[in-house]
Amino acid sequence: MFKELDPILHSQLRLAVVSLLIGVKEAEFTFIKEKTQATAGNLSVQIQKLKEAGYIDVVKQFKDNYPQTICKITPEGVTAFEAYVAALQEYLTPNQ
Amino acid sequence: MQNDSLQPLQSLQLIESMINKAKNNFADNGFLYLLWGYTICFCALFHYACIQWQLHIIPRPDMIWMLTWLVGIFQAIYLRKKDKQRTAKTYTEDIISYIWITFAVCAGVATFIVLNVFKLTNWIFMYPIILMLYGMPTFLSGVVMQFTPLKIGGVVCWLLAIICTFTLNVNALLLVAVAVIAAWIIPGYLLQKKYKQHHTTS
Repeated sequence: MFKELDPILHSQLRLAVVSLLIGVKEAEFTFIKEKTQATAGNLSVQIQKLKEAGYIDVVKQFKDNYPQTICKITPEGVTAFEAYVAALQEYLTPNQ
Repeated sequence: MQNDSLQPLQSLQLIESMINKAKNNFADNGFLYLLWGYTICFCALFHYACIQWQLHIIPRPDMIWMLTWLVGIFQAIYLRKKDKQRTAKTYTEDIISYIWITFAVCAGVATFIVLNVFKLTNWIFMYPIILMLYGMPTFLSGVVMQFTPLKIGGVVCWLLAIICTFTLNVNALLLVAVAVIAAWIIPGYLLQKKYKQHHTTS
């Protein structure tokens, strides 16, 4: 019996965001937007969903008088990501 | 990029590509290694030339090392500017920063110990210690960045520190110059080359 894939992470853009954040300490919204090539509107919605799930922390502040949004993965996010990857491995190696 | 559902294989490919994108973004451009490498190399050779050939270009030969203060100020401005342009922070950058802060603190404390505890006012005794200390952040940065030329540079510094104890005279300054060429200038150019390759391919 396969484990169910986490519906929060099993979406292209949300998974891309979490995969990016897993490799960095923190990243600005502009960095995530550039790397995922998503639209600002769509990315904002998905970041909000990840934040509500407790997978990422979002800090809004000002830098040189410009608004800045910083995202950082939480320990819950790391655990969920690891569980997601483990579940994926089960799907891809079904004979085990 | 859309927020559609994925097939398991697509998910893995997406994870891999995003992790690589984050990784490729943070190649060191080698600028600070070259800046400090050339500064220390110039100071050491200038100091050596002043003593060896009795040159009186500046009031005291060791005053040339004050140039490092100016470079330190320039570095602070450079890092501040770079920090403003940065859109993401990595753990690797954090660890490397702390390694160099540790080096700066150790160099300061070692100078204090040599001058105040051992009462050694002759700077020549500092050179083996300085060479040993140069090796530490260079080797560790090489380990963290998985960059072999820096690891080799660190080992060269430690070997030169031992050799330096047998030549406690003006020639120690030549060893300092050789150390920074091996530890910072050569790896600096190799890092710069790697950085340019990253940014032309990505």
